[in-house]
Amino acid sequence: MKVALTGNPNSGKTTLFNTITGKIEHVGNWPGVTVEKKEGKIKKELNRSGEDIVAVDLPGAYSMSPYTSEESVTSEFILTENPDVIINIVDSTNLARSMFLTTQLLELGIPVVVALNKSDMNDKKETKIDVDRLSEKLNCPVVKTVATKSSGNGLEQLISEAAKLGSSKHKQQGPRILGASKPQNKDEFEAADKRRYDFVNKVKNEVEIRKISSEMQTRQDAVDRIVANKWLGIPIFVAVIWLVFSISQAWLGPWLADAFVGLIDAFYGLVEGLLGGSANPFLSSLLLDGIIGGVGAVVGFLPLIMVLFFCLALLEDCGYMARVAMVMDRFFKKIGLSGKSIIPMIISTGCAIPGIMATRTIKDERQRRTTAMLSPFMPCGAKLPIIALFAGLFFGDKGWVGASMYLLAIVVIIFSGLIIKKITKDDSSSSYFIMELPEYRWPSIKRATISMLSRAKAFIIKAGTIILVCNAIVHILQTFNWQLQAVAENAADTSILASIASPVAIILAPLGFGLWQFAASAVTGFIAKENVVGTLAVTFAVTNFIDVEEYALVGGAGEVSVTFGITAVAALSYLVFNLFTPPCFAAIGAMNAEMESPKWLWGGIAFQFGMGYTLAFIVYQVGTLVTTGSLGTGFMGGLIAVSIMVSIVVYLMYKKPSEVVVKNLSEAV
Amino acid sequence: MMSLSKGKINVTYTVGDINTNDVGMKDFLFTLGCYPGETVTIISKLASNYVVNIKDARYSIDEQLAKAILV
Amino acid sequence: MNITDIIVIVVIALIIGLALNKLIKDKKLGKKCSGCPYAGACTTCSSDNIENIR
Repeated sequence: MKVALTGNPNSGKTTLFNTITGKIEHVGNWPGVTVEKKEGKIKKELNRSGEDIVAVDLPGAYSMSPYTSEESVTSEFILTENPDVIINIVDSTNLARSMFLTTQLLELGIPVVVALNKSDMNDKKETKIDVDRLSEKLNCPVVKTVATKSSGNGLEQLISEAAKLGSSKHKQQGPRILGASKPQNKDEFEAADKRRYDFVNKVKNEVEIRKISSEMQTRQDAVDRIVANKWLGIPIFVAVIWLVFSISQAWLGPWLADAFVGLIDAFYGLVEGLLGGSANPFLSSLLLDGIIGGVGAVVGFLPLIMVLFFCLALLEDCGYMARVAMVMDRFFKKIGLSGKSIIPMIISTGCAIPGIMATRTIKDERQRRTTAMLSPFMPCGAKLPIIALFAGLFFGDKGWVGASMYLLAIVVIIFSGLIIKKITKDDSSSSYFIMELPEYRWPSIKRATISMLSRAKAFIIKAGTIILVCNAIVHILQTFNWQLQAVAENAADTSILASIASPVAIILAPLGFGLWQFAASAVTGFIAKENVVGTLAVTFAVTNFIDVEEYALVGGAGEVSVTFGITAVAALSYLVFNLFTPPCFAAIGAMNAEMESPKWLWGGIAFQFGMGYTLAFIVYQVGTLVTTGSLGTGFMGGLIAVSIMVSIVVYLMYKKPSEVVVKNLSEAV
Repeated sequence: MMSLSKGKINVTYTVGDINTNDVGMKDFLFTLGCYPGETVTIISKLASNYVVNIKDARYSIDEQLAKAILV
Repeated sequence: MNITDIIVIVVIALIIGLALNKLIKDKKLGKKCSGCPYAGACTTCSSDNIENIR
């Protein structure tokens, strides 16, 4: 049996879905979290029907009219996949709007059960709803639910009603609104919709008794006035970001990582001891340095990532995100985007893939694609080890370096936004911003913990699979030369890996890190950004980057310079390079799905690469000039490359509009 | 009729018309319950954003949209 | 080649074998990002998974 979960955005569908299926889909207290449908089997404890029931969580919709494009996933699913039952999750604090969709669902002929969710919030506000009367008026069962509670939440009753209806194959009768015939054109639809709302208004008035009118000011509104204040809004936002990243990168994160790395070190030592001296040097080095060392170097940063995700989950849960969109809107408008674009960017600080997918809530195509292209500039969780590594190695105080990378990212995004706006000849005068502001709620520690653990599990799996295999391959390739002989201790330069990576390294020379090890690491970074750290660990035979005694990272700038062979400035430039180049292949895949246009996709990738290269170039050359008084290596070559890139961009920016229009027309044809 | 952008806080206005060429937005507003005859209240004015109450829900809208809603 | 070597080879083979196994299994399920935390929300995931299992 198939059950479809539909309802307004932010009504609690995904939370309910998670509770009835036991899955851990991503939840957030802002409209637009779910962009794709998810499926799961309903838990045995709730399903007494004897038949398997699959629940499908659909993205939120305010209506199913064929004239609003955003709800197409919902209507498409219902019309093509024929669910046996529809569970309409209604935010009981807002019957007036929620029921609009309900009336549309009731006319489909598929049995409907209404879940009056967030009933606990209604009780708090002392709003009463006459469930029986409502059920009578709608002609379908209505069950009160509180999806956020793990028991005593009405879900068992909900599922049993749904199962009953599902197997009865009874044809749902909609309430009498539409009149005899189905609307044939837009005008008739509009008239029908007006009648629909009249019906909804009437029902609501009969069924709901509100103690506090929703037009009254509440404490939450007062909070909004502070949080989205004209002057305080941005500083508060910056403070929140700074807090989140400081906790994960400078305070709690490294403190936990310290102990964790100690364990990894101990394990390494243990295996080393077991092998003794009797094992074949290649084999033991593959196991110790390639596998354990490489993966260990990456996994050592797990605590930082876990803390980051915990904080992000709390942030997403409390309802602040929608307010951030409001605060950033007037600034984002100046770069051709809207406040809604900030949300994918914030999500991207966790992982760019869901961030890019979140752009689906942006109606304007150009804005959506631009946001998808720019979101990867925000350092994602996988890039955190890179930041932490270089920040710690070359700049003792990790705190501000880490946070400044995020601020740099925002600056780069704004700058890029302006460029793209000019290139696409944007005239976004007609773009409106409207966003529902959900109620604030205390973030659930339980949900945050679940989110953190799920992310941690994924990270470990990733480390144990992709990163492990990559490290092993890298290690093997750097141990042998083309004649398949093992190379000498310090002659890794003659290995297969070195010879493959060296040509790439030449291109990177003007950026200060023209060594094959760095080139190889950057390349493996496209498979997974964590690989940058892993490959560096393997190619430089460093097994851990976090010192056990002091939770500073190993060595100081001096020692590491010797080990890595580059200056501190070059290290900074390498960090910048990795942060702003195109993201991992998986994220590029997500970009591809959202761009829906090869032009935009490749343009985006080229733009990202160009940005990474140019920024690294500037950082290295200017930095070297400032610190040593002379320019770095490969200045001329790099300057030429950067100049070419910049001129292409400038050309695109100032190209005459008529050419663009002609191009667009021919594309449209 | 005047634009909502000129409205006062805490006053409940009745929507008269939505002045825009963007049909998609007009339809969308309708599904939220913002159409001629229904009420809207300004809760806060923050920088160039308005927090409004439409049918028991709070929305943040920008200056442009507030200008387009005629009450 | 002594016994230690053989043990090491076996261990390495196991580790890499398991890793590859997981990667291939994920590929079959259509998961583009092995170990992606949002595997449920990943582009090619969700309903495809269920179809394959059925």
